[in-house]
This record gives sequence, structure tokens and C-alpha cells, in this order.
Amino acid sequence: MQIKVLSGNEALAYGALQAGVKVVTGYPGTPSTGALTSLLAMDLPGRYVEWSVNEKVAFEIAAGAAWTGQRALCTMKMSGLNVAYDSLISIAYSGCNGGLVIYVADDPGASAGMAEQDTRGFALMSDLPMLEPSSIRDTYRLTQVAFELSERVKTPVLIRLVTSIANAKTALQIADPLPPADRIPILERNIAKYTKAGAAICITQHRDVIARLEKASEVIQEMELNSLQLAENPGGLGIVAVGAAVAYLEEAFDLAVEYGFDKTKVSILRTVTTTPFPAADVQKLFARCKSILTLEELEPHLERGLHIEAHRTGFAGLIIGKLDDGPLSRVGEYDVDHVLQGLNIALRLGIPGDRFKGNRATETLAARRPITVCAGCPHRGTYMAINQAIQNLDLDKDEVIITGDIGCTILGMNPPFNTVWTEVSMGASVSLAQGYVHGGVKTPVIATIGDSTFFHAGIPGLLNAIQHQTPLTLIIMDNGWTSMTGMQVNPGTDQTFQRTGGRRIDLARVIPGLGVDQFFVIDPYDLKGATSTIEGCLTLPGVKVVLSRRECAIQVRRQGKRTGNVRLISKKCVLCKQCVTATGCPALSIKHESIVIDAALCNGCGLCAAVCPTGALEKEDGT
Amino acid sequence: MSYDIYLVGVGGQGILTLADLIMRAAVHKGHPVSFLPTKGMAQRGGFVKAELRLGRRGVGPHIREDGAHLVIAMERSEALKGVRYARPEGDFLLYGHAWEPTAVMLGEAAYPSLESVLEAIRVSNARLIYLDPKELPKIDGGYVAANIFVLGAAFGNTRLDEVLNADEMTEVVRARWPRRAKHNVAAFDAGLRVRGTS
Repeated sequence: MQIKVLSGNEALAYGALQAGVKVVTGYPGTPSTGALTSLLAMDLPGRYVEWSVNEKVAFEIAAGAAWTGQRALCTMKMSGLNVAYDSLISIAYSGCNGGLVIYVADDPGASAGMAEQDTRGFALMSDLPMLEPSSIRDTYRLTQVAFELSERVKTPVLIRLVTSIANAKTALQIADPLPPADRIPILERNIAKYTKAGAAICITQHRDVIARLEKASEVIQEMELNSLQLAENPGGLGIVAVGAAVAYLEEAFDLAVEYGFDKTKVSILRTVTTTPFPAADVQKLFARCKSILTLEELEPHLERGLHIEAHRTGFAGLIIGKLDDGPLSRVGEYDVDHVLQGLNIALRLGIPGDRFKGNRATETLAARRPITVCAGCPHRGTYMAINQAIQNLDLDKDEVIITGDIGCTILGMNPPFNTVWTEVSMGASVSLAQGYVHGGVKTPVIATIGDSTFFHAGIPGLLNAIQHQTPLTLIIMDNGWTSMTGMQVNPGTDQTFQRTGGRRIDLARVIPGLGVDQFFVIDPYDLKGATSTIEGCLTLPGVKVVLSRRECAIQVRRQGKRTGNVRLISKKCVLCKQCVTATGCPALSIKHESIVIDAALCNGCGLCAAVCPTGALEKEDGT
Repeated sequence: MSYDIYLVGVGGQGILTLADLIMRAAVHKGHPVSFLPTKGMAQRGGFVKAELRLGRRGVGPHIREDGAHLVIAMERSEALKGVRYARPEGDFLLYGHAWEPTAVMLGEAAYPSLESVLEAIRVSNARLIYLDPKELPKIDGGYVAANIFVLGAAFGNTRLDEVLNADEMTEVVRARWPRRAKHNVAAFDAGLRVRGTS
């Protein structure tokens, strides 16, 4: 045993190691990234860990490994499960042999900026059990349970964390990880299980998946994973809580005491699943309680289950939550005040309403801090070149649609660039752009995307444009890394960083190979050259692809290479501030009526020098 | 014992490192601890916050409004985002560094005055401790790390020292970066000695 400070993501990784996982795959996505990152940093003989090209691929690899009888884990954020779902539903119907666990992280509060979706809906839809840990400690335990459950029932099992658990840290006592079980891979030829060949097979599999969920429910009961505390006297309040909300119960109880709350009078069900629905425990709760308070973040999945169970069992008490204009919110993440408010309404504690109103007026006085790209970020040069090219062609910036994509490249939506108009999902920029063309837009249509996102899901969109010869300019901003999520290696990352025996895939060879005749490579630090190439593309017919290529400045610096610096020649500076307004570079500031360059931050990209009209900024070469 | 610390600042100031150091000291002392760092998408220059909850086992990671025994703000404008978490009678340590966004530097957007920020903190009924950034000392000709200085100031000026021990904190700081130990311990000690104004 050892005590370690672990995040929820790391606890999940250690739980999987403890369960003897052999194959781990995933695609980076906040807040799930840390789980696989921590495993990649370890020396794990006998196990295989990789960042895959996208979540669907990652999941299929994990499923294949589980079909050979090994234990496999796949990690992703909620958006990734959307991508993997096509295979997830199919493999749910087939079942598995070795334990197959899918870790998915939701982001209530949308701190990472994506749709605030509740992935529990996928568990309902696919009849797959989904474990919902309420803490880091719980995550470590339930990850191990997930593998056991998966193997006992022969079903994939989902485990869902939310940001506040995945990214939080605590000190945890953990066992020394065991080596993976030495299992001989099995090869099972069974088309009734592994294919969807014909209605008979599919209908049988549908029956199987339903039966497996029922079995999972029994195993969960048998393992006593849920905690049910019944009040001594009947007729009180019952609380059903799941996930992150569970962690705030005790604190809310303590706060509510002041308002006459008596913990001994309430019954509490802390469930580890919404799917399967904890029917047996809920029935016991109904039998003891007069009314029920449901505590769950995001969508009222558990609450709907309670209404159905109430209908089935004839429970006539009030069910308090989010439905029927209930007091709790379907939006945002929970803290103790949400639980306290639930208790307040359910028990009429009379806590004054202003107790729950934060002084947000104060916050509105804070300066807005739109995020921008780092000092030296090559993307800056690409945005500036796109903007300049549009201007050179005498086009109105508001009449040239530029679709954007996921990752650092989306920061071009913010000032000072205001370049990118849309952000949908991985790869969507390329296909959306084609829709704008067919919608009748007469001005040039531009799509922008990063390298990792292009590999992930951008290629099919480009193939489509090539096949149909839909006129557009696709600009791939290739910085060599999956940067936004914290610098993961992707297929285009330099060979040095690929796994031993792995191979880098060069986009400059891939794109012409797809059938792009008008293909250009630019250096985003060369503002003049980049602008001229993009300008040319906007006047050409057909499909044009521009590969704007330079390594992420943060990574260049981490490798100990310096790109140089920019120096101010004060006597030439007329304080027109063009450098600041055009680049918005964090290394530039204006202090005491002078431009100041933070030498420690500057990566010497020279884009400020490129826009300086008086030559007051001079790029010094790096070493 | 339960002691909640809410920290706010701008990416690049070392707020998360500061919180991480407190967490290590708390773990070392055997306190139950929950630490939730929240950073935006930018490497630098974006809003960063951290929630540290000491002394309560199995507690949820978020601090409720009016709940923080101590708020530490390392940037003047971002301090406003910590105000609603300050517990009445709790401590609010503001290191008044102003990190102006580009639009402010260009005169296109407003930036809150020091007086308006101090007033907002006072209205929250928390005990204000203001540290002028001019107090940041130099060692060997360069400024010390502001986050370590502020950490020291938290021990020297707030009730954090009733929960954790300054000597033990010094050892955590020293052990974290052995090659920078001299500078960091000097920064911490300078913070311990400095007296904030109210």
C-alpha cells in the first residue's frame, strides 16, 4: 500500500492497473485526458497504451482486445463518445469476453467549452451499465468494479466522471499495482455474436443486451455498491443522489441543522448507477418515505426513472427535482448550495432566498479576458495572413465565411483576429464549408482546422470536397501536436516522439495523395509569403489546400530550442500600437507610453516586426 | 477543523502551484484535502482559479459562496471573482498586481480601479489584507517568485497559520525545487515578514 496524491483521472488509471488492464486506448479530451497521460508516463511491461487517431478507432481497438479475452480500457470526453457511439451500440449488442471499460468524462458547467451534454443518456440508449463515482476514492474502487462487472456479465461497462472529480486531487491510499493477468488470447469464430448478419441475429442480440443489463443490475445488488440508509420512522423524506451530488450531502446536512434539519429523519440512497436503474433500493425507499428529493447534475435521468418506478409501484408521494418546474437546475454543475436548496424546498426549512444569491454584480466589473494564442504561436501568423489576404482582395471580412474547428485553432475566433466564425465538432469545418458553398455563397469559402483534428475526422470531409470538386480553400494549421489538451503525440508529430517502431505520417504527402491538385505549404511566421499564397488560393477555382506548418512554440521551447527574440528600437517607434492591435501577443504590452517586450515570454516569431510600419521591431535570430 | 481556500488569478502567475504547495503541506500534516484546479484554455493570460478544502473527509470539491475561510487573489481585477466566495469574517488576501488585457492597454476597455476592488472586498465583510506589488523583494538582482511571496504572506497575515505550520510549509517549498531552494525560501520568508494593509 502507498499514499499518493491523485486526481480523479489518475485514480481511474490506477484502478484500471489494479484490475489488471492490458490494453488502454483513448483520444485526448478535457477533462478526461489525464487518465491515459498518467499511464503513458509509467513503465508498464506487459501492457499496451496508446493515443489513437480518434475515439471510434480507440474504442474499436479496446473492444477487439476485450474480444480476445483481455481486459481493456478506452478513455474519452463526452464528445468522443458521440464519435464512438456507432461502434459502442453494436458492441453492446455483441457483448464482450475480457472486461471492457469505457471511461467517459462529462463537463457540467462546460468549463472546457463544449456542449453540456449528459452522457448518461447513452447508457440508457444502449442498455449498458454506467458507473458514476462520486469522489476520487470512489473512482479508484469503481474502476476495479467496472472490470469485474464487465467480465461477470460479459458486457461493456461505462464509467463516467465529471470535471470536478476528474480534475480534482486528493491523497489516496492505493495498492501496489499488479501485473496484468497472463491470458492467452482467444479467437472465437461466432457470427451470431460478432456480426449483425441478418434480422435473426440482430433480434437475438437485442434480447441479449436487455438480459445483460438485468444481470448487471443483479450483480450490482449482490456487490452492494449502492448505499441505502433508511430512517427509523416512516413518513419522512427520502433522498436519492448519484455522482458528484453525493459528495455534498453531508456538508449540506451540517448547514441545514441551523434551520432545524434532523438527519435521523431522512432516508438516503446513494446510488452508483442511473442505468441500470436501482429499482430494488428505490422500492425500499418508497415504502419508507412520504416524498423523494432527487439530486443529480444535468438531465433528470434518475428522476424520470423514479417517476416510472412510482407509477409501477403505486408510490403517490411527491418527487422533487427538476421536472414539473422543480427547484433544481438542469444546467451547470452542482455545489453544496444546490443540495441545500433541495432540502430547503423538500422539507420547507425556510432558508431565506437571498442565502442562495451570489453577488455576481461584483464580477461583472472585472476586465474581460478573452483567451488568445500563446506568444510565438504559429496559428497567429495564419490568422493574420488570412485576414490580410481577404483585405488585399478588397473583400469585406463580413462577407467571407471562415469555418473553424476544435482545438487551439479555434482561438482565431477571438480578438484581435476575429477570423473564425464556427465551432461544431471534430472535422466539421471542412464539411460545413461545403454547405456554405452549396447554400449559394458567392465569396470564397475558407475552412480552417488543426493537424490532430484533421487526422481525427477532417479527412472524410476533404475526400467529399475532392470527389464533388466543391470549390473551397482548406487551411490546415499543422503545429505537430495535439496542443489544446496538453501536448499529445498525434500521427503527424515528429518521428522522435513516435513510439519505438512507430511511424510519423506526413500531411504534405497525405494530402496530394488524396487527390488535391492545388496544394501549398506555407510558413506562418512568413507573413508576406503566407498571405500571398492564401490570396492566390482565394482566386482559384476548385479545391485548394494550404498546409500552414510550424511546430507549436511551447513545444519548441520545451525541447530547449529557442526561436530567437524581438528587439524594440525605441527611437524608431512612433507608438502606433500596430504590433499590439494586429497580434494581440501576450509578450507585448504598453507601459508608460512605450511598447514593452517581455523577453522571457517572446518566442521570436517576428509577426509584430512584420506589421511594424517604421521598422522599430527587429527580429533577432535564435541559436 | 475545516478550512476552505479559494484562489484566483491569471494563468502564468503560479496560482495553481501556490495551491499545490498548500495541498502538499496539508497532506504532509495528515489533513484530509481536496484540491480542484480550474484553468481556462490558454497557456497564459486567462482566468485561473483553485479550490482547496482542508480538514473534511469526503467533501465535494467546490467551495460554496460565502464559504471560503481564506481567499487569495493574485490579480487585481480577477479578485472580483473571488469576492462572492469570501466568508464574512474570513480573510481576503489581495496581491494587487494588475495584469491588463490587451483591450485595456489599447484604451478600448475599462479596468477596475484599486479602490473599487478594495471596496468590493470590504463590502463582503471579509477581513481585507492588501499587499502592494511594490513589496515584492529582489534577491541576487532579480524579483523573487510572486506566488511564493504571496504564500508566505498568507502565513504571516491570515489565519492559515492556525491550520498549517509555516516551518513545515518552508520545508515543502524547499523540497519542491531543490535548485531554487534558496530563492524560494527567501521569497517565502519575505512574505512571512511583510505586513499587508487593510
